[in-house]
Amino acid sequence: MVYTKKSPALLIMGIIMLAIWYLADSGILAPYIEHLANGKKYKYGSELSTLPLYFGVFSAIFGAWHIFGSHKEGALDYYSSTVAGGIFILLIAMLVRWFIAPEVAVISTGMGKVGDTGKYIHKLLGLNYVVIGIVTGIVIVNVFRVPEWAQNGVRLSRLGLKTGVILLGTLYSAAELTNLGGLSIVMIGFFVLGSVGMVLWIGARRKIPNSMGGVLSAGMGVCGVSATVASAPVVQAKSVEIAYTIGTILLWGVGCMFVFPIIGNLLGMTHVQFGAWAGTGILNSAQVAGAALAYQPDGIETLKVAEIFNITRVLVLPIIVLWLAVWYVKREESVTETVNVGRVVFEKFPVFVLGFILLFALSTTGMFAPANHYKGKFFGNTADSGFKEKNLLKPEQATVLSGELGKIQREDRKAAVTALIQNGKIMSIEHDDAVRGLVNAKILSKDANKVLKKSHKAVRHTAKKIKSFRKWITWLFAFGLVGLGMQITVGAMKQAGGQPAVIGGIVGFTKAALSLVVVMLLIQTTI
Amino acid sequence: MENKFDRGSALSIFGSDRREDFMALIFALIIAFGVFFFV
Repeated sequence: MVYTKKSPALLIMGIIMLAIWYLADSGILAPYIEHLANGKKYKYGSELSTLPLYFGVFSAIFGAWHIFGSHKEGALDYYSSTVAGGIFILLIAMLVRWFIAPEVAVISTGMGKVGDTGKYIHKLLGLNYVVIGIVTGIVIVNVFRVPEWAQNGVRLSRLGLKTGVILLGTLYSAAELTNLGGLSIVMIGFFVLGSVGMVLWIGARRKIPNSMGGVLSAGMGVCGVSATVASAPVVQAKSVEIAYTIGTILLWGVGCMFVFPIIGNLLGMTHVQFGAWAGTGILNSAQVAGAALAYQPDGIETLKVAEIFNITRVLVLPIIVLWLAVWYVKREESVTETVNVGRVVFEKFPVFVLGFILLFALSTTGMFAPANHYKGKFFGNTADSGFKEKNLLKPEQATVLSGELGKIQREDRKAAVTALIQNGKIMSIEHDDAVRGLVNAKILSKDANKVLKKSHKAVRHTAKKIKSFRKWITWLFAFGLVGLGMQITVGAMKQAGGQPAVIGGIVGFTKAALSLVVVMLLIQTTI
Repeated sequence: MENKFDRGSALSIFGSDRREDFMALIFALIIAFGVFFFV
């Protein structure tokens, strides 16, 4: 079978990208960009002046080869045919991120704030590029269908997500991982084991087959699709039971991906709280990432927390497979076929999790961000540090902070803000961490937080390499999530139904509600 | 999406999850070392 289609689509997409670059770079788009900026600074200027140029040239050359080249069956044809679909996803992600999502924000801002919430409707509903991108994907596949020339490449989206998760390993410090790791082990341990046990218990009461209960419990408890696939041979699940489980996970996960950010916004959750909740309560890895980025589209803090919880959950997989193996053999006396649990775990364990750990290990050596980038070179007294005088706190800014000191409960945060008011700048890394924590905790007013953020930026700059990683990760996730939307078909969700959907609904809701309560009660810290 | 491909699955161009994981790892390492050397 020859996969490469002699279609002009890739060439046309390349030309569209080049046109976007030209219009933006020549200034023709400037008035429209100013309109999209809505009185603020347009965030995507640097992306607009580079990405469409690089990918436009690449797509135009590859597209011409698709049309005029000769294609024979083989690996080259198979893999090169995926380029058109990949660029199709990328182009949608670009249009949504640079133009459609900002336009939605402009319209929403024009409509005013919603009632007593004090928030605009796009903020409340999380209508940012992540959510709009996923919805666009869902609409394309269910209403228009994915064009034939793009169908092969749309299957690249999961590869993009996995690459993004592995690269996330570069962004954690050992201290963050220790803090979050301890918390995630406790929460995940409780909720994973709890939901597996709950599915098995309800399944027995409702008399569903043991194989169905087993595979559904792994899917609901651990990490969605990969856990389902890993546990299937252990409980001898049939194809239809695997399909039911995946359908249930998909149906529940897609709902959570859209509902979680809305609840998070209504409750004013911090990045750590929301990340912990999404990483615990949402079933499938891709949807965890979707919800986290939907909650904080222009930052990576929530995604970092959510992924730590998600990865901890994947690490529990061997224990669950072992548990199910013992449980299944005990309940099914007729089991004659022996399954090598160790081999199943070895064969099905997701290697990308080990990749994440590898990149984290490389990062801790300091190869991506020299230690002094984290220490910040502008701490200490003004004359020696090279700190610019103009960045010192203005008297009116100091007054804003002084007026809100009473709201701060924690001593370390109070001390940090007091020192900031006295010195006009943040003097140490510990104080800087405390100030960042205070901002993320959303305790102070918007104005006070603005002052704190400015003070933080004045003393601490992110290393260039880390900035570059963040961009790569954001784009890999944007690519993966738009593609994910294109794989959410009504047909796949219809695979859920009957008892598995009822049990999945009960357990999924319980897990989401309980983990929300635990997160709101226990997590006050920040990263 | 029904599986209309004779290679890979409905969700991936690769024949197995393991292969996809390794490809993701290779891409991530290429990006990481690219950033290390060129940024």
